[in-house]
Amino acid sequence: MSFTRMMEGNEAAAYGAMVSRAEVVPAYPITPQTELISHIATLIAEGKMRAEYIKVEGEHTAMAAACGASAAGARVFTASSSQGVAFMDEALWMPPGRRLPIVMCFVNRSIAPLGSLRPDHNDSLLQRDKGWIQLYCENSQEVLDTIIQAYKIAEDKNIYLPVAPCYDGYFVSATATVTTVPDQAEVDDFLPPYKHEMYNLMPEDYEGDSVSRRSIAESRYEVQKALDRAKTVIEEVDKDFGTKFGRSYDGFIEEYACDDAEAVLMTMGSMTGTAKDVIDEMQAQGKKIGLLKLRGFRPFPTEEIRELAKKYHAIGVVDRNSCLGSAGGGIVVQEVARALYPLDDRPKLMNFFVGLGGSDVTMRQIEYMAGKVLEAHESGKVKDEVDWVELRDLGPVM
Amino acid sequence: MDTNKLFDEYYEKSLMQGGTTCCPGCGGPLFWRMILDVLGPNTILYGGGPCAGCATRNIKLPKFGLHFSFVADAASGIVAALAAKGREDIIVVSGAGDGGTGDISFGKVSAAAERNENMIQICIDNEAYMNTGIQKSGLTPFGAWTTTTPLGKEANKKEIPMIVAQHKVPYVATSSVAYPRDLRAKVEKAKGIKGFRYIHNVMPCPTGWRFDPAKSIEVTKLMVDTWAWPLYEVENGVLKVNVKPKQRPVEDYLKSQNRFRHLTDKQIEWVQGNIDEKREMLLKNDGKKIII
Amino acid sequence: MASVVRAFRPVVDQEKCIGCGNCQTYCPEGTVMLRDGEVVFDYRFCKGCGVCANECPVDAIEMVREVGG
Repeated sequence: MSFTRMMEGNEAAAYGAMVSRAEVVPAYPITPQTELISHIATLIAEGKMRAEYIKVEGEHTAMAAACGASAAGARVFTASSSQGVAFMDEALWMPPGRRLPIVMCFVNRSIAPLGSLRPDHNDSLLQRDKGWIQLYCENSQEVLDTIIQAYKIAEDKNIYLPVAPCYDGYFVSATATVTTVPDQAEVDDFLPPYKHEMYNLMPEDYEGDSVSRRSIAESRYEVQKALDRAKTVIEEVDKDFGTKFGRSYDGFIEEYACDDAEAVLMTMGSMTGTAKDVIDEMQAQGKKIGLLKLRGFRPFPTEEIRELAKKYHAIGVVDRNSCLGSAGGGIVVQEVARALYPLDDRPKLMNFFVGLGGSDVTMRQIEYMAGKVLEAHESGKVKDEVDWVELRDLGPVM
Repeated sequence: MDTNKLFDEYYEKSLMQGGTTCCPGCGGPLFWRMILDVLGPNTILYGGGPCAGCATRNIKLPKFGLHFSFVADAASGIVAALAAKGREDIIVVSGAGDGGTGDISFGKVSAAAERNENMIQICIDNEAYMNTGIQKSGLTPFGAWTTTTPLGKEANKKEIPMIVAQHKVPYVATSSVAYPRDLRAKVEKAKGIKGFRYIHNVMPCPTGWRFDPAKSIEVTKLMVDTWAWPLYEVENGVLKVNVKPKQRPVEDYLKSQNRFRHLTDKQIEWVQGNIDEKREMLLKNDGKKIII
Repeated sequence: MASVVRAFRPVVDQEKCIGCGNCQTYCPEGTVMLRDGEVVFDYRFCKGCGVCANECPVDAIEMVREVGG
């Protein structure tokens, strides 16, 4: 039976793992992911979820155990944040390279030398080179739904790559919003049992080891090809999910209030919710500013961005991450810039750093950023390519 | 007789292909060859590592491996997956070298023991990081030459079997390829126990210990017969000393390998003293509960 | 299959052999077999380590230098 109530992101994620029938959960607690795994422990203890919960002693072990379990034929779920993600970095290379369809939630938290418990996106973005699929979620419902979708994408026979639903610590993980947990039978219908066609560790089926003579270049290329194929799969799964459950998320990019817009702000993660409100208010004042919600960061939706560039004359990318010493700006804006580069007619592009270390992204800041984008569009000039918004005194909150 | 066919059938039956890329005289393939028929084909093998990889690559069992910084952890995942699928009949064997077990993955071995993971954890101990060019590990014995301890290792060998036993796991044993009957009996016993079982086997390494490969078994037997590597079990906390050879002076063992050739008489005396103490403690507690 | 390069190969004097099986027990590669009272070697994979010769209690196995290319 499906049910609806107020639910925090972490609890929604636990239900997502439950209805997806995850069989093995190797996990180590870290703020702000902790409630997710304790919810799972409770669901298992209550008999609502049947899974082997390996209470590992560290994140490096959690990911290794995830690899072993996935290779041995079990559907695996795990989650981590920040320092934990950094600690398991060595192990995070394994699932994409070994084609293990693990689903791992990144409950975003800043990785800061002086410590921070609050969210920014450096922990998940740190994994952007390895071949993980990354989808950023705005609220509890999206977290739950994305986990179900994640298994469908990961276990697709043409994909076999791990998928990371990412969501902001505290702002999503610990904020309750109305969430519907779908009916188990409906999810079973949408998500068939896990069976990996590239692995079989069962002794009775052992036929000798296939000798892998692929070079590193060849195996990387194969992962790249799988990521390319994933673009279609991600869109299709989202559409099918929408058909079955009545909720979908526009695949990679959601265009919000963009009908009249000539300039757009691009956000990722929980700040999107706040941004939508600000954009609504600004549009009510007649300003032609829209919002692009970047949901899928890996594989990067290059073609889609190029299509959008034809419609909008200025794009302001909000980077909730640090890319110190970079060519210019944060991680997301650099990807967007690369995507736009071959176009003859490029929109104005600028970058905003905000919410670093998990500081609040205020409506005033969003209003400011949107204003700057409009200014760039109207004047035809970008005043600041990179803008450290948080360090400005912007006056009172809107 | 057609010897090729004879051997090919033997390799198939014994679950191990002859002709590994290990050094001539290496104890690694010998160890596996001695126990594979005891384990049987209903086994999944986990493990990796430079020396271990050379030996296990030839084993005819389903395998999974990562790096030596991943000892026992992915195996825990495999155990969980098998439990989730109702296939706890399959034996999970996790093998690791001394570098993995004693150094970089020491915490993982401890954690797997603490969780009492249902696997047989084997330490394939050749007393240094060998395949990468003979660098010291925590399990390198006192005084041994390695490239990172050219004047001889200053610290002692970590006593992993006792440390693991103190985690209150059901079975811990030390073994040697020079005593194959003892080794096989231990693997047979471990096979029938549920929970975390740990077998620590010291492998002769002609390349890193610096001796003529032909003397591999001779040197390993000396190690046991001088009580430098006593063979014992700790089953449910109770110690049993399995082999009680007439003690030979440790000098015989030390002089059989060039890695100890710079040891002074005083140092050899010191080593002898330690061994005598260890032997006394083991014999005194033989048959007693030694784990708190 | 790669061919093994070795400096010495084991050769058995069948007359001396007492059939104890030490050579088979201790060969690291499994390339020595005692079959119907006869010691046979798998020269495809034998590395010439010499353990079999060393463990033979009656010195029935001799390590002979490999000659030629």
